[in-house]
Amino acid sequence: MVASSRAMGVVAGTRAAKVKNRAGQTAKWALITLFLAWTVIPVLIVVTNAFKWPLDIFTKTPKLIFEPTLENFVTAFGKSDFLRYFMNSTIVALTSTVFVLVLSVFAAWGLTSLRLRRANWISNAFLVGKLVPVISMLLPLFAIMRMAGLRGSLLAPAIAHVALQLPFMVWMLMGFMRDVPRELEQAALIDGCTRLQTLFRIVIPVILPGIAAAFILAMQYSWNELLFSLQLTTFETYTLPVGIASFVGAVSVNAGVACAAATVTMAPMVVLGFFIQKYLAAGTTGGAVKG
Amino acid sequence: MTAFTRTPIVRRKELLLGFCVIAPAAVVIAAVMFVPLIYAVYASMYEIRPGQPAAFVFLGNYARFFSDPVALRSLGNTLLYTVVNLCVCLAVGVAMAVILSNLRPRVGNALRAIFSMPLFISPIIVALIWRYMYDPQYGFIYWALGEAGLQEHFGGLNSSAWALFCVALADAWNTTPFILLVVSAGLTVVPPDLYEAAKIDGAGPVRIMFQITLPLLAKVLAVVTLIRGTDAFRVFDLVYGMTNGGPANSTSTLSLYAYKAAYQNNELGYGMAISVITLVALVVLFGPLMRGSARGKED
Repeated sequence: MVASSRAMGVVAGTRAAKVKNRAGQTAKWALITLFLAWTVIPVLIVVTNAFKWPLDIFTKTPKLIFEPTLENFVTAFGKSDFLRYFMNSTIVALTSTVFVLVLSVFAAWGLTSLRLRRANWISNAFLVGKLVPVISMLLPLFAIMRMAGLRGSLLAPAIAHVALQLPFMVWMLMGFMRDVPRELEQAALIDGCTRLQTLFRIVIPVILPGIAAAFILAMQYSWNELLFSLQLTTFETYTLPVGIASFVGAVSVNAGVACAAATVTMAPMVVLGFFIQKYLAAGTTGGAVKG
Repeated sequence: MTAFTRTPIVRRKELLLGFCVIAPAAVVIAAVMFVPLIYAVYASMYEIRPGQPAAFVFLGNYARFFSDPVALRSLGNTLLYTVVNLCVCLAVGVAMAVILSNLRPRVGNALRAIFSMPLFISPIIVALIWRYMYDPQYGFIYWALGEAGLQEHFGGLNSSAWALFCVALADAWNTTPFILLVVSAGLTVVPPDLYEAAKIDGAGPVRIMFQITLPLLAKVLAVVTLIRGTDAFRVFDLVYGMTNGGPANSTSTLSLYAYKAAYQNNELGYGMAISVITLVALVVLFGPLMRGSARGKED
């Protein structure tokens, strides 16, 4: 099939086709370059601003050559509370990610592999959670956290992040688990595994790429989330986005410091994402890829 | 799978296990999402002002929504924002995914890794970045447009005609990589024979796109539309950080307006009514796409 089509290609390779092909190639690389610029330039501007003195930031024409300085980082971390925000964010993101993964792996497995009569109904109810506007959750949650004595603790935003992520995580992991052949699990049962052991010995190892995707998504969500972190924390427990938000209002005053803070905040997730994005691609479709 | 029959005891054990593994997640979702939602519906029927006893107004807050020009503007803005954002994300994301899939795998994968970068950046930082980009005096966009001589035509974030598009575009910058990644995964399962056959039949790239690629991607596109659409419709962080609804409410969205009503104007009941309306709109718009997307294993 492939060989025959190649032969056809050679036959069809007239001069007109070649010219057309070259134009197509040029257009393709032009689009790629354009998209590359669109993706990279905004990030580059912020990262370079982080190393600039204010005089070099506020120029009519973007300044490519400048005398770099670490002053902005020193200010952000030495003279303000960014180091504490960073620690808080790390704790909240790791805690919520671990919890959301454990809860959603169990729930997704229960909904796909155990034959429960109401499984469809329950998973749809879970997914409705994805539609609930966050604003309607905010104030009641605030009240609940205060009653539970958790407001102002790092656990409060962590719990909110777990719940906010659960509907999508369950749905996504269900997609992976559907693709695990039922025969594999049944063979393990016949070999003497208990039902729960099939989850740990068969299902989890098979869907590990999906769990990697869930991990990065949950992690970056919690790391980046603003609204709940803003409302459920107090000054002592502010996370990075809350700290960044305080800079956003005043563009001209602290531009360099804001950019330094933004650079440090986005670096871990961008680096993590760079290595895990290939799992993410397969992961987020929730099995829809397989048609 | 009738060959594998089970006794009632095994079946009962499985039900118990099912309950044990699903209950924790269900409890968390119920406690943090559904209980507050019920409270929101309840509160939306009261007029609640600080220092005054709550007055039951039944559907009064909902009636108020439909006679409040800012609320209606916010609804319109939210719809427009969602449509613009979805169109840009889908068009650019799908086009880029198709282009990258035709490159040598190593080059395609490297570019995909670079292109995915904005996806991992917090919306509040995206807001910060794009405020610099759109800054009329020092911003890159104005500089680039100035070099091209188009500066006068562009209003940026300070013009009520442009601001919503500017924010939607910043959002597209943030989230197009998501579509790109997911569609790329979708393309890997399209059998290459199909393309070869179409080329032999003399189909051009445009026809291949519309008659082969897009139909095969239908299910994937439905999923990304659902995920991206519901997120765009509930946008908060980015609008809050970039314009806070201004100028002249031209970028006010439902989430932002509900937030302002409940937390800045202290009209909790009205704020909750707006968020309930948001939920209803989401269910109406995206409910059909959601049906059947969450299923168990087929036997």
